[in-house]
Amino acid sequence: MTDTAIEAAALGRRFGRRRRPALDGCSFRLPAGRVCAVVGPNGAGKSTLLALAAGLLRPTDGSITVLGQAPAASRERLAYVAQNKPLHPQLTVTGTLRLGRDLNPRRWDAGAAERIVAEGDLDPGARIRSLSGGQRTRVALALALGKRPELLLLDEPMADLDPLARHQLMATLMADAADRGTTVVMSSHVVAELEGSCDHLLLLGGGRVRLAGPLDDLLAAHTLVTGRAGDPLGPHTVVESRTTGRQLTALVRPTGPLGDGVQGDRPSLEEVVLAHLRSPDAPPLLLDAREAAV
Amino acid sequence: MSAATVGAPTAVRRFPEPRGLFLAMLRVHRSALLFWAALVAVAVGALLWALGPGADSAWAEYRASGCGGDSPNLGCDLPGPAHGRYDTVVACASGLLAVLPVLTGAWAGGALIGRELESGTARLAWTQSVTPARWLAAKLAVPALLLVPGTLVITLLHRALWASDSHLQRVLGWREWHDDSVFEANGILATAHPLAALALGVLAGLVVRRALPALAVAALAVMALVYVLDDVRPHLWPMPPGTPVLMHRHPSSHFWPLQLVETGIVLAVAALATAASFALLRRRTGAAV
Amino acid sequence: MTAPGTAPAPAGRPGGLVRTVARTHRTALALALLVLAAATAALVWLHSLTDEARAGHSACATPPTDRLPSCAAVDAITADDTYTSGLSVTVTLLSWVMFPVAAWAGGALTGRELESGTARLAWTQSVTPARWLAAKLAVPAALLTAGTGGLVLVNVWARGDADPDLAGDWYYPDVFVSTGPVAVAYALAGLALGALAGLVWRRALPAAGVALAASLLLHTFLERHREDLWPPVTRTEAGSFELPRSALQVAWADSPVNGVPLTRATFHPESHFWPLQYVESGLLLAVAAVATAGAFVLLARRLP
Repeated sequence: MTDTAIEAAALGRRFGRRRRPALDGCSFRLPAGRVCAVVGPNGAGKSTLLALAAGLLRPTDGSITVLGQAPAASRERLAYVAQNKPLHPQLTVTGTLRLGRDLNPRRWDAGAAERIVAEGDLDPGARIRSLSGGQRTRVALALALGKRPELLLLDEPMADLDPLARHQLMATLMADAADRGTTVVMSSHVVAELEGSCDHLLLLGGGRVRLAGPLDDLLAAHTLVTGRAGDPLGPHTVVESRTTGRQLTALVRPTGPLGDGVQGDRPSLEEVVLAHLRSPDAPPLLLDAREAAV
Repeated sequence: MSAATVGAPTAVRRFPEPRGLFLAMLRVHRSALLFWAALVAVAVGALLWALGPGADSAWAEYRASGCGGDSPNLGCDLPGPAHGRYDTVVACASGLLAVLPVLTGAWAGGALIGRELESGTARLAWTQSVTPARWLAAKLAVPALLLVPGTLVITLLHRALWASDSHLQRVLGWREWHDDSVFEANGILATAHPLAALALGVLAGLVVRRALPALAVAALAVMALVYVLDDVRPHLWPMPPGTPVLMHRHPSSHFWPLQLVETGIVLAVAALATAASFALLRRRTGAAV
Repeated sequence: MTAPGTAPAPAGRPGGLVRTVARTHRTALALALLVLAAATAALVWLHSLTDEARAGHSACATPPTDRLPSCAAVDAITADDTYTSGLSVTVTLLSWVMFPVAAWAGGALTGRELESGTARLAWTQSVTPARWLAAKLAVPAALLTAGTGGLVLVNVWARGDADPDLAGDWYYPDVFVSTGPVAVAYALAGLALGALAGLVWRRALPAAGVALAASLLLHTFLERHREDLWPPVTRTEAGSFELPRSALQVAWADSPVNGVPLTRATFHPESHFWPLQYVESGLLLAVAAVATAGAFVLLARRLP
């Protein structure tokens, strides 16, 4: 098995000739076994990237490989849950799981799927039509995990779950990923949802990759600087700087020791993400996971 | 079931993949399947009734009213209640066959393809272990496999009825072999038309990608196809020179040549639509096919 | 409630709602207008063919005589075929307006909106559900009445005093429906049945199917029982006689009474056209009214 889950090279996708491309020149590499968060504002290209990785769209530029193959060739080995959790409304929960069995004859693990449904206290005979949004999400995730995928692509998976169910499902996902080495890629715009469960980050903005790499390395590469207004930030790459009165707050990527009188702190994930979202012109930072992971 | 085998991505099913896809199709489109079964049952029941008790009582009524003898009167041109019933039932059965292409096309465009693309459940299938091409193949093959036996049974019964009720036809000759509905119901066109409608509906669904507009486009396309076919039918087999090209001028021995030429045309339309559907899907999902 | 500075819209002015309905269904509107224009153009063109078509259908003789033209010359005229098939297509389309209208009303007008939740979107604007439904029904009803009614008038004009051999007799089902007010009543009944089906099923495709099936049933039922909608005329005479072609024959009996053959014919003369039209239109409008009332009651019961 390859040690790369997803590799994109100058990947681009455009919908219609006149419109701005949804993805433009994206290059990154995601090692296998990671739990990767795909973060970005609305319209950043998160869903397009996931659909490309799932082999549902043809790239208009560049290329993407999944588990060492073209996405379409990896179909059996990946699972995908779309943002609106499409399911056949006329089927029952059991019928939906049988659909998964029928469509994945070589890989279906009925026990795993049923366990996820059972945890949600769902009536197996209930029709999908009658379920709430959160219950539907649970069935969609059961369908995805029942396939025993090597790569799990989740588009805004937790958006309509209550906090308890979110916590529980996240734990199930993480346990599954840890046990079986599943690579999980999930998009979200709720950053707090991801901290603590993800170890890899992909920040998209305007169709381009803004940040990519192992979470710890990305955080370590940034410093949150506080000082007085007018303090020189020197040779460091400034992502964002703000002055409130005399107070200067800046997120920088230090290239050497910070100057005197300037205090540097380790930023949180949310601070890094928000700073990058607020400054669309900040240079991208792509850390190759291969070296960093050693 | 296999909770203990964590880590092994297996639980291999005994049956081969196509069967899974087939079962999945039946499960998703169960109400359509039931509807089709009910339609076939109604048509078969109607034709069986018309073959047996219906024809008998119509003929008995005709004889009882003093017709069919030597001195027919004007009233013998008008059907009595038993003949009216017979006529209604036969008209219902062949009417079902006549609307079947439009129904099939509308369903294929709307529920089979358009709704799945609109709601995203098509993508759900494509991210299971099923390629879009196989998905489309199943979407075409399973309904086709279920359509063919049903229409063939109805056609065979209709042919039997046509052969047996000739005395009723003779005295109250309302239906002729070259009437559009009779011509279609008596031959393989009753099977070929729905198949072409299925292919056109699937293509419409893939092009339009939304349930209701696809339904409308498919229904219109099928109606146009049937209308054009009805119109060009007399020209599909050569007439003796100098004879006006009209359906009722064809000798009845032209039945099979006309059937076969039209079937060829219809199946060519179906093949073109199918090829276009696969090409479109391939273009849209890329190497995914 | 109104923020200072914003002029409150005069209450009860439905212009916005009407515009919203028209905008939401502009594809259907455009399509309907296109069909209307095409049908009108076709009828005007067919009307211009009338004389030529008559010539192509006249009696003939071989060889030609003083009074009759040669049969070869008459056979060479194809205008009568074009005229007949053109008229029969437009007449059929006009008498089938109900079916697409019902499917559209069940599917796109109400079913899809309830399925996708856009109906709730409308109800949480400043529009009560009842007004929403009223607009949904009134705007298409007005357009359908105008469009179908206009087309019926054009159809009647285009047929003129058409030869029944070419244009069909008044009692042919499609001719009957498409030459009187009953065409409008069918369209309105289809609209109301469709809207009701959409509200009952709340899903686009099944509602469209159910509405279509209900319309087919209603259409077939009325076609089969049209002759029972007005008491027919009975003529009893000794000996045998023939009814004129314009009579819609309902029943016929020859029975010898005391050795004298007695013929008894029951039929509708052409003068029954209007009573039959009115009764059938009344029935259809009653169906439309009941379906509309059912839709409003259903909506009111489902919502607080």
